[in-house]
Amino acid sequence: MEFLVGSVWAAGLAIGIAAFGCGIGQGLGLAGAMNGISRNPEAAGKIQVNMLIGLAMIESLCIYALVVSLILLYAHPALKGTIAVVAAH
Amino acid sequence: MHDLQKIVVFVTKTNWLLFMVTSLLAWMTTPTDVSLGVLLGGLIVSVNFQLLKKTILDNFCPEVVAVKGGSFVGNILVKYYIRFVISGVLIFLLISNHIVHPLGLLVGLSVVVASMFLATMLELTRLFFKEAV
Repeated sequence: MEFLVGSVWAAGLAIGIAAFGCGIGQGLGLAGAMNGISRNPEAAGKIQVNMLIGLAMIESLCIYALVVSLILLYAHPALKGTIAVVAAH
Repeated sequence: MHDLQKIVVFVTKTNWLLFMVTSLLAWMTTPTDVSLGVLLGGLIVSVNFQLLKKTILDNFCPEVVAVKGGSFVGNILVKYYIRFVISGVLIFLLISNHIVHPLGLLVGLSVVVASMFLATMLELTRLFFKEAV
């Protein structure tokens, strides 16, 4: 039972912390990009490209965290055995 | 074409190339659920990247910001969240119904990051060779 509770806690914390960090990172990146474009509109093209790469990298980190937390909840290798033990009690 | 735009074109092309190569390799060498994971993960993340690219290139330029004004933020945010929710739900369905193997899915989802890593390595190599010459 502790294993199940631990898995749920770990999944929640994993996606929560990842979303927190990615949100701050994307927010800072977007704020910087908007500042840059408004101060120097000619540099918009360069800023767009850098922002695209940065946002995609940050977003992929959050997707990884989502996958890890979903694995912890639904596809953990040891989860089947634990559920069987809990169900037997 | 500017160097930075070249990088995006390179990342986009490498992205699709890596997607095809990894999918083919997975199909030939691994069980069906792993190869399906690589295929669907790669497809999700590649389509995601294309949509992100389209949103940014269409909306983040001075002319559009000046014309669209207030609707600018809503337009981008709504598109962003719809895209993110759809990919999240798809990944949830794939994992919770055990349609794909999680490791295969992780490999598939790494296609875009791998292509960016490749682009960075190429740029670094070019930089070192330039400095050496």
